[in-house]
Amino acid sequence: MKDCYLGVDIGSISTKGVIIDDDNNIITSAYIWTEGNPVEAVRKLLDILKLNLPKEYVVKGIGTTGSARKLIGLMLKANIVKNEITAHAIGTLTFYPNVRTILEIGGQDSKIILIKNGIITNYAMNTLCAAGTGSFLSSQAKRLGINAEEFGDYALKSKNPVKIAARCTVFAESDLVHKAQVGYAKEDIIAGLCKSVVLNYLNNVGKGKKITPPIIFQGGVSKNKGVVKYFKEILKEDIIVDENSHLMGAIGIAVLARRNKTGNTYSLEMKNVTFSTKAFECHRCPNTCELLKIYRNDKLVDSWGSKCGKY
Amino acid sequence: MNRVGIPRSLFYYYYGNFWQDFFDSLNIPYILSPISNQEIVNKGIKIASDEMCLSLKNYLGHIDYLKDKCDYILVPRISNFKNSNQTCTNFWAAYDIVKNKFQNKLLHYNIDLNKGKTLKKGLYKIGKEMGKTKHQIKRAYKYALIKDKKRIKKNHIINLNKLKSDKTKILIVGHPYNLYDDMIGKDIIKYLIKNNIEVIYSDKFDPKITNPLSKKLSKDLYFKYSKDNLGSVVYSMKNINGVIFISSFPCALDSLANELAMRKIKIPYLNLVIDDSTSFTGLETRLESFLDMLGGKLND
Repeated sequence: MKDCYLGVDIGSISTKGVIIDDDNNIITSAYIWTEGNPVEAVRKLLDILKLNLPKEYVVKGIGTTGSARKLIGLMLKANIVKNEITAHAIGTLTFYPNVRTILEIGGQDSKIILIKNGIITNYAMNTLCAAGTGSFLSSQAKRLGINAEEFGDYALKSKNPVKIAARCTVFAESDLVHKAQVGYAKEDIIAGLCKSVVLNYLNNVGKGKKITPPIIFQGGVSKNKGVVKYFKEILKEDIIVDENSHLMGAIGIAVLARRNKTGNTYSLEMKNVTFSTKAFECHRCPNTCELLKIYRNDKLVDSWGSKCGKY
Repeated sequence: MNRVGIPRSLFYYYYGNFWQDFFDSLNIPYILSPISNQEIVNKGIKIASDEMCLSLKNYLGHIDYLKDKCDYILVPRISNFKNSNQTCTNFWAAYDIVKNKFQNKLLHYNIDLNKGKTLKKGLYKIGKEMGKTKHQIKRAYKYALIKDKKRIKKNHIINLNKLKSDKTKILIVGHPYNLYDDMIGKDIIKYLIKNNIEVIYSDKFDPKITNPLSKKLSKDLYFKYSKDNLGSVVYSMKNINGVIFISSFPCALDSLANELAMRKIKIPYLNLVIDDSTSFTGLETRLESFLDMLGGKLND
């Protein structure tokens, strides 16, 4: 029997799973939409992974990351639960030990991580708004009636990208509608959009940061060739996009699960596990905290959200 | 009985203890509004206009809590500490805003050192309004002042000693009414302490030292509290592992000062902007990764 480790990255838009062996080789991976239901998405994810995992492997560690990491960590009884910034950095460092800058644009958030000698020296994450992230791109793709996957190819066709406000999604959208109505070609608008995503990113999370090569671009949006092109153009540097760029967070957390293994063996079988949450508002004090109780096999395993720590 | 209401917000975090000692010594009864909670913030948001910062919204919530429970509410106006040391415009405006929004009688004084209006003169005015003699007021003022000086000195010493600690040290830069308020920054500090971090506070340095130091970052800073805050970064930079800037949305002072600092300092920093809808989950992601980052190497 050989040991393997599962990393699950549950983002707002997509859920990623990776199984690695002791030498960080990817045995199998999966990428599906979260569709607003992380628990169901993870069940589906495990089914896919189980199917593709050769029989001789046993899972010796599970790690979760991404915005639903705590919830899914409880569901899978993960041995490590870590934030996505650390997970992304570790995943990337595993394959690119010399990386200096990681650009990441996901479904709802975007981040920049600066690394020196294998140590994160600085990072930033978008704060209040999700402008220029994957969800914005996919909703605009829908508006223009094309698949998000084809977006990049359209952008590459353009010789003359239109100018689109880079500051705010709402302005960008009205610019977009306007440009379409006065008759600009679809590919020029799409290219403009890709460019505005890059400008927005550099003005927002990237401001004041020294971007040094080697630069790695990852997250779902890194699959968009148009955005990659404009990053190259504007930064005047080479941009590396790994074929597994969308899986880096999951790989990182799998690596962490390996490092923190406890000797326990885990099952990927979730059929017999019921997992539910119950939300309620506490009225014991004027804070009226929104509480969430988590049940695993009808047993209360945790509850979150109280300010006082009573629950 | 003439009872004074003290809102536990904004000015309280600079003068609260002083006021309480002063009123104690004069035998003037007072009531403090409770520690901020969701209800107070929600009330404040309803009363305030959209563009006010979360801290001021919270302040108005506290006034609302006090409005039926006392005869006077203490609302000073603090405008400047001489030599272009201006305070935040909200500190100028608070009195007028409260006066416009509430029918209560207000106890009020001005601090405007450019016009010779000092804290001492202000408190004499208040004491007189409450029917106390000059002699009584003088004694109370002295009593409160001595106690306050002792307290501040003690805080300074604790803060300076923390700089020598062996633990991971993080300087928290922010206004005290944000850092210590339960609905704004307190959870962040609690989280750090829980994770065994030595927390050093920007407001617990001596402003006489930190204020002039801010010139090393920029000579054009306008507001006193920006200068104090950024000076504390300059002062402690060599002895700390990281800086966390905490501000309330949309603070005008901080949006300028913190951005400036971030571009100029060479140590790890994190910027957290808190609004009423900010969930702790988002903050936790940022804090956890920040601590991971300070923790060092990620390779095997």
